[in-house]
Amino acid sequence: MVRLLAVAALCCSLAAAQSLRPAEGIRSNTPSVHALTGLTIVPSPGKRVEKGTIVIRDGVIIAAGTGVTVPADARVRDCRGLTAYAGLIDLASEYGMPKPKSGTPPEPKRGAASWNPNVAADRSAADEFLPDRESAEKYRAQGFTTVAALPSSGIFKGRSALVNLGEGTANAQVVRKELFQHVALQGAPADGYPGSLMGRIALVRQTFSDAQWYAAAMKRYAARPDQRRPEEDRTLAALDAAAAGRQTVVFETGDELNALRAAAVAKEFGLTAVLRGSGYEYRRPEALKSAALPVIVPVNFPEPPSLGTPEEIFNAGYEELRHWDFAPENPSRLRAAGITVALTAAQLKDISKFRSMVALSVEAGLDPADALAALTTVPASLAGMEKQLGTIEAGKNANLVLTDGDLFSNAGIVRETWVDGLRYEVKSPPPDIRGTWSFTLRTGARTDTGRLVITGGRDEPAVQFRSGALTVKATGVALSTRTFSFSLQGDSLGHRGALRFSGPADSLSVKGLAAVPGGADADWRMERFEPMLPKKDSASAAAPLRAALTLLAPDGAFGRTSLPPQQDLFIRGATVWTSGPQGVLEDADVLIVKGKIAKVGKGLSPTAGAVVVDGKGKHVTPGLIDAHSHTAVTGGVNEGGQAVTAEVRIGDVLNSDDINIYRQLAGGLTVANVLHGSANAIGGQNAVIKLRWGMLPEQLKFEGAPPGIKFALGENPKQSNWFDAANPRYPATRMGVEQLIRDEFTAAREYDAAVKAKPSADRVPVRRDLELEAVAEILRGERLVHSHCYRQDEILMLLRVSDDFGFTIGTLQHALEAYKVADEVAKRKVGASLFSDWWAYKAEVMDAIPYAGQLLHDAGVLVSYNSDSNEMARRMNLEAAKAVRYGGVSETDALAFVTINPARQLRIDRRVGSLEPGKDGDVVVWSGHPLSTFSVCEQTYIEGRRFFDRAEDLRMRADIAAAKAELVQKALRAPKRGSGASTPMPQRSSVYSCHEEHGADTAAEQEGR
Amino acid sequence: MKTVEMYIHHPSSMFHSSVVFILALFVSVASASSPVPGKRQTRPVALVGGTVHTVAAGDIERGTVLFENGVITAVGASVTVPADAERIDVTGRHVYPGLINASSAAGLQEIEAVRATVDVAETGRINPNVRAEVAVNPESDVIPTIRANGVALSHVMPSGALIAGCSAVMMMDGWTNGEMTLKAPTGMVVTWPSMTVSRSPYARQSEEEQRAAVERSLAELRNAFDDARAYLAAKKNAPSAHRTDVRWEAMAPLFDRTMPLIVEADELQQVQAAVQFARAQNVRLIIHGGRDAWKAAPLLRENGVAVIVGAAHALPSRRWSDYDEPFVTARRLADAGILIALAGDGNGAMIERNLGFQAATSSAFGLTREQTLRAVTLDAARVLGVADRVGSIETGKDATLIVTDGDPLEIRSAVTMMFLQGKTVELESRHTRLWKKYIEKYRRQAVGQ
Repeated sequence: MVRLLAVAALCCSLAAAQSLRPAEGIRSNTPSVHALTGLTIVPSPGKRVEKGTIVIRDGVIIAAGTGVTVPADARVRDCRGLTAYAGLIDLASEYGMPKPKSGTPPEPKRGAASWNPNVAADRSAADEFLPDRESAEKYRAQGFTTVAALPSSGIFKGRSALVNLGEGTANAQVVRKELFQHVALQGAPADGYPGSLMGRIALVRQTFSDAQWYAAAMKRYAARPDQRRPEEDRTLAALDAAAAGRQTVVFETGDELNALRAAAVAKEFGLTAVLRGSGYEYRRPEALKSAALPVIVPVNFPEPPSLGTPEEIFNAGYEELRHWDFAPENPSRLRAAGITVALTAAQLKDISKFRSMVALSVEAGLDPADALAALTTVPASLAGMEKQLGTIEAGKNANLVLTDGDLFSNAGIVRETWVDGLRYEVKSPPPDIRGTWSFTLRTGARTDTGRLVITGGRDEPAVQFRSGALTVKATGVALSTRTFSFSLQGDSLGHRGALRFSGPADSLSVKGLAAVPGGADADWRMERFEPMLPKKDSASAAAPLRAALTLLAPDGAFGRTSLPPQQDLFIRGATVWTSGPQGVLEDADVLIVKGKIAKVGKGLSPTAGAVVVDGKGKHVTPGLIDAHSHTAVTGGVNEGGQAVTAEVRIGDVLNSDDINIYRQLAGGLTVANVLHGSANAIGGQNAVIKLRWGMLPEQLKFEGAPPGIKFALGENPKQSNWFDAANPRYPATRMGVEQLIRDEFTAAREYDAAVKAKPSADRVPVRRDLELEAVAEILRGERLVHSHCYRQDEILMLLRVSDDFGFTIGTLQHALEAYKVADEVAKRKVGASLFSDWWAYKAEVMDAIPYAGQLLHDAGVLVSYNSDSNEMARRMNLEAAKAVRYGGVSETDALAFVTINPARQLRIDRRVGSLEPGKDGDVVVWSGHPLSTFSVCEQTYIEGRRFFDRAEDLRMRADIAAAKAELVQKALRAPKRGSGASTPMPQRSSVYSCHEEHGADTAAEQEGR
Repeated sequence: MKTVEMYIHHPSSMFHSSVVFILALFVSVASASSPVPGKRQTRPVALVGGTVHTVAAGDIERGTVLFENGVITAVGASVTVPADAERIDVTGRHVYPGLINASSAAGLQEIEAVRATVDVAETGRINPNVRAEVAVNPESDVIPTIRANGVALSHVMPSGALIAGCSAVMMMDGWTNGEMTLKAPTGMVVTWPSMTVSRSPYARQSEEEQRAAVERSLAELRNAFDDARAYLAAKKNAPSAHRTDVRWEAMAPLFDRTMPLIVEADELQQVQAAVQFARAQNVRLIIHGGRDAWKAAPLLRENGVAVIVGAAHALPSRRWSDYDEPFVTARRLADAGILIALAGDGNGAMIERNLGFQAATSSAFGLTREQTLRAVTLDAARVLGVADRVGSIETGKDATLIVTDGDPLEIRSAVTMMFLQGKTVELESRHTRLWKKYIEKYRRQAVGQ
């Protein structure tokens, strides 16, 4: 019946739409004029018309509302009891697209396309789209009539197509081709370049830059062909509209911090952008609000982690529990922040759960009108189709969904959808037959009576026959939309064998035939006299739907509801290690006013309102500085896809949620030089950060810190410990490393000259090269080199290269054999940032000695000790103490290895590194001598804000324990959501924390130490 | 210069090491061989005037420790020093028992990234027969750096396999590994399979596959024990009817409870399962790692299980863990009445010299100074079954001692002397020799040579 209708309708549409395809056999000219009467109409979100009529002609709504005249040629459908909504639109679907072949490497692109296989901006979904009847049916059952079909792989995935979910040819269903360009910032690392998130971002930036350049270059070449012809590139050509802001770019983000990264790229290139969210956006609503971009969010609200045993409860992730609790509020919290929201069924394992998930978000606070808008008017407008789609109005496409009950309540049922004026009935679920029924079986002259008690699940009912004291459990129960059947063992009823019953499925009355032992004719009937009483859902009543806790920044353990305030601070009577000209002062005071150090000395007075800390018996030092860190990095610390990756930036992938920030504050650290790994000779750009726990990635950056870049020499860039002989990457020797660096500097010098030359307006402009641009900055003295190195020969090599090209090396990193050439290092005023006592982990560190710090220091080299480790960065004061142990460096000089010396190496000593008036109020209060293994960091301040306080920490632990217990209770009481989604936190929280639960690789491997 | 380069290319070659040694006699500051082992004690030695930290019976100010033939013969404030004894004045200094690192790879691993120099993990799953002391390289350049910080004894453990093999308590000096061995086998090391299931979408296996893999590993372990018992019984009852199985032979001391099972276990469920297993098998148990062991403290106490606590200088296990979680593991267990030893492991042998500093961190976060010192001396010896020989300064015990200018758990204090069974041990190392070599370089520069 359903199918017949659909086919009939389809034929008529072909006629009405004047198909390009020649008719086969007899033409169908069934009129396509419909009047749906007696409806409740929801013409647009928040509006409602009772007893309305919708008139459709040739796929278009020609009238909707009350007082509508039904045309004489219309087929009238009585729709009393139904509600009509505009058909739902999903902007993030893979409907009708070919599945990417997994396992097989992509074939090299043919023709003049992008060099990078991940850049497939020229793909067009409309070219590959094929309607998929089964999938369309599932979408329509949820009320969808239109989706954006996306190409499914790559970083630049290509252009989507807006398609209707009707049946018939692709030609009939494509509503709009080349809808959006899709760029994936999240996803599994690809083979080759880029292999990291920062590489992805660099590639995306370079590609948009190239597309903008390409358009200009081609234009100028067309005007003046008497110059070198720019390379043809169909990918860049296809990207022109997006790069020029004429076509919307949808960034797939994966988590809320990536959403901010995408917004930054969009802003840099002036793109028209939409963010495809992840469900984690609620964590940073204010930041997203200021990005002012619409967000398409999923509704895959997760199940809680396993809580089956006390052990599982002990292990259950606190952050996962919080996310479980907050997730359904994601859409409503974004709306509350004034963000434009569209919803998508993507990321749901089972699309049939979509409406119940939306219903959950409505229960969790989303205004039902906003929910409807997020699926109709908002996506229609984002797609630029607001004139054709999104509301029920005259002139719009006849895309409708008709429901029995509310669209976003669990009780509501989708009855039918209309796509382009064609009706599609929704395969309805079997009727609810649960309840108590009277039962009669007649076999010839004999009559048995009793009751059927039907319980269990709606789709899988359990049936019992009861008569007096007798109870017989039915077997073989089957229920479909049409038929209900079951068996009873008849012996206890006096029937010597099995009885089989079947009849039409109905929720009120069933009559059917029975097969009985002996083969006599038999029929049966049942009448319901009592539906199953809806069980009072004690579980859901007990578990409040709204999130139990207050959102923290960052959300999870040790996050705060607000930033620690900047207060004037007065530390009285402590031993103050200034790391400055005042040296160590006994019984001295430190005054910090408005975040800056005002005075250090004896007998000072606090300003009015200053917080006073009793420093008696305590020691105070400047905030410690780690000149080599990989903390707070997400998506890979190495971009190892190429030998030179100067274009990638750690600053693009800072992770302000990294718990290691907090842990390091708890060890007195306040500043870190966050570096790219050492997989390649010229790696990525660094970021100097302050450990402002709770703030956003951009706010971590140390304002005005000179930019730097990571270089690496020796075993790592030559891939000694992971060389792939089948797939060699240059360089494989220290000889090659040197030549590669020289070649790069030479190229950068030539590039810089070409850029500065400013060719005339009719010449093809110089293409901006992000890699060479960064290396040119080194040559111009605007970017410091921080070079990983070990052996004295390679250290001397780099010193000579710097002599030849005239650039500045900020630090030699690790530099464990620098002590052998201390004179050469000292002569050039190059800093050495060492491990205190690491050695023996690979061949090139067999001559590393813990006395290196002292030897270099005595030779006049500026020395710091670094961590290169989330763990060691928690106790840099103890690292400094090793300079005393090994070689007898004085205690004040040793402390300087982790305070003023790294500050000078990073050229931030004007602001930090010592306790001197005018510098930042970054101070640490220790329980005892800062170089003693028995001392504990008690408080850490940055700019007068108390970012760590041991007493507060102990309180937060109690809060965390209580909050976790509360969430566990709530989760144990809560009904299953049915999304099938687990609750992993975004990948960012696991990558470089080698000891955390997900981390498979060691930090050393990740960082290529 | 040349000797250094030769060393780099042939780090473990006896031949080159000895060449280097000969050269070293001529180039006093430029050698790169490990130092000459200490001489056997030939006459009594008395350490006089220092503060003696006996560990077993408190501290003695201005005390004397007398030892002869490698054994302590007298300890006290008024010890009569024999006339023929060598008197060493340690006034103002401190005498401690040599520190014991309860988890070590010393001598088994030289250069972490160079496979040829790494002997910590044998291939295969069931290796009860492999023995750590056999592969300890006495010529290791790492060992002198470890003892220079006061670590006199290391419990060297094989790792990796489900049954990884037998561990050994090694003295950190000697001509051969036989001479270095204090006790072997010390325990049978088992790497307990992870009992938690990752639900991360990045997990390589489904939850079901992970659970099945855990069950398979546990069955494999049980089967090994069952097979070993069956073998030993059969061999006892009909010795000539059965050929020798070296794997099951090696497990015999487990079953008569002369040797403990040492289970690598950090997760709560691993610890619980290991205790259950040890009870069912009637074997003695030591937990190594023990990150979550405090959560099962009553279970451990009831069953008399000791814990070798994993490195304090480690990251907290879970994002929501307290920042000081690894710093307080030892204290939590000690407070619950469990016998603990501390491990100076993590990042391979190169970090083991920091044992005392890691221990101090546990102390900074609540373990008492006395408990902390015991956990790297006497209690460690008790856990490892060598308390009759080492771990405290008592008459009759080995003269395995260190002399320091301060608390050996403080980074800023120095170890000035070490005695291993009475032998005076060299505290120089590859590091001090390279240091002196380059001091000489810059001295010559300064004087224009």
